[in-house]
Amino acid sequence: MELEVKRDRLVFRARGNKWEWGIEPRYWRNPAIYVGLLIVAPVVVYFVYPSLLATVIEANLLAAIAIPLALMSVGTGRMNFGPQFYIGIGGYIAALLSIHYGLSPGLTLLAAAVGGLVCGILMSPLSILSGGLYYTLLTLLFPLLFLEITFIYTDIFKGDVGLFGVAPLVTGFAFSVNQLIYAFASLAIMLIYLYIIDKTLRSRYAVEMAAINDDEEVANGIGVNVNKIKMVSFAVASMMIAIIGWFYAHYYGTFAGITFLPLAFMLKILMVIMIGGRIQIYGNVIGGYFIAFLELILILTMGDMSPVLFPVILLVLLLTLREGLFGLYRKRHYREYMPTLHVRR
Amino acid sequence: MTEILKVMNVTKNFGGLTAVDSVSFSINEGETLGLMGPNGAGKTTLVNMICGSYGVDSGKIEFMGKDITNLPPWKRCKLGISRTYQIPRPFPELTTLSSVVVSALCGKDRPNRSFEDAATEATHYLEFAGLFSKRNILARDLTLFEMRGLELARALATGPKLIFIDEVMAGLNPVEAEKAVRLIERAKDQFGVTVLWIEHVMAVLMRAAGRVIVLHYGEKIAEGPPEEIANNPAVIESYLGETKNA
Repeated sequence: MELEVKRDRLVFRARGNKWEWGIEPRYWRNPAIYVGLLIVAPVVVYFVYPSLLATVIEANLLAAIAIPLALMSVGTGRMNFGPQFYIGIGGYIAALLSIHYGLSPGLTLLAAAVGGLVCGILMSPLSILSGGLYYTLLTLLFPLLFLEITFIYTDIFKGDVGLFGVAPLVTGFAFSVNQLIYAFASLAIMLIYLYIIDKTLRSRYAVEMAAINDDEEVANGIGVNVNKIKMVSFAVASMMIAIIGWFYAHYYGTFAGITFLPLAFMLKILMVIMIGGRIQIYGNVIGGYFIAFLELILILTMGDMSPVLFPVILLVLLLTLREGLFGLYRKRHYREYMPTLHVRR
Repeated sequence: MTEILKVMNVTKNFGGLTAVDSVSFSINEGETLGLMGPNGAGKTTLVNMICGSYGVDSGKIEFMGKDITNLPPWKRCKLGISRTYQIPRPFPELTTLSSVVVSALCGKDRPNRSFEDAATEATHYLEFAGLFSKRNILARDLTLFEMRGLELARALATGPKLIFIDEVMAGLNPVEAEKAVRLIERAKDQFGVTVLWIEHVMAVLMRAAGRVIVLHYGEKIAEGPPEEIANNPAVIESYLGETKNA
């Protein structure tokens, strides 16, 4: 076996066979490299510092919320400020069905997905009827209303104590092994979302969505069924976010609205989007990891001050990185605006 | 000639203001119909009603014999109605090519159309509008004249039977304006579209239109060949104001 490092490629020879990998910067954008790193990361963390696995899981889940939110944003042409509402829907459906009816996680997943989808369909006319600030305020309001409902109907939702006794997804292993499996499960969900939405954003529907984003009225005038695209993207993204709620319920074994429905949780998602860039799904992965680890560092170093510092950091980001880190990259590569079309004569 | 569009007594009110008051007219297939009138006459409102951007308070609109009064804009587009805008409204964040691809994908129903088919067809319309070399430029970075070309390419890519051209001359210098007029005339010949041309500039309609309708304060005050319209006292009065005899 022989490994040779050349200027632009690595050459690996073994038993008369030869494999080459290009290592020029233009090849670094290959998603397979980053997916590989994400798969290896939990294993490394498991062996080096297993306590960090919880942060890795949180990072994957934050990214998995922000990615469908990007689809919702581009499909409706509006920014939803209450995605945690669907986390609440998915989480409560999973927890209630698991505790009261003893349903397995597989069945609660189905129920949470259907619940999220139905809720999404019912709420999607909002994106048609309202726009701008009104849409933002309405979407911001729903999770808070839901939180109030969980306090009013304490006998069902158990108020701020939350529902506990939800069947775990993984059992029968040591705690750290369980965490490793959860890390891979959360990563799988995030990568599946990334794949589905990446494919969508490279399809014909992406240009239609982009047209809606730019000018709804003109898009409608050139034959784009604006209402249909808005409703579908809203409902599908809601379902995807509800599945994250299902995961939270089975991962923690408990689900309380007070953890996910308040604005503090939305702030984290907003920061993921601010770091990654609005409608930048790959950027959201970076954002998810950045925020999860930033939160950990702030808690370790600042203690009680960390909830105050989070909004301050968000404000600074809003002022300095209006398009997020990926936005800086996109500014230099604007021709790659999704989807990239290359037509040669 | 067959009637392609029939507008019957359409009225549009904005609060207490009647922007279009019981206007009726029709367009024959292959015709170029001019629509003119002073500022605020209701020309664009009328076009917005025909294209579906505004609802109709009363009256009826038929396209190819089908009642389209209550159809949404995207369905009207699929039937073959397309338009350009007085102030260009490109998709600023899309490239020139992508902007036209959306039209080629979503306009007239074309079975088994792939994304690549639409992209190839879009290049055809970009070439027609002289924008092929700008296909990867963001639409917001185009000049006003190029934006007008893009709007025409975008409208043609939907596969229209009837196209509304809304004040194409606005903001263009004489050379660009001449080019724009020739481009529209070429589009009419090459793609066999019927044109309803809204214009302030009388000379353009005199040259291009076979028939002209004049609106004033939302009412139709004249209809006929351009030469007749140019000498119509009501039209002259609407443009120059009331004449007072000593």
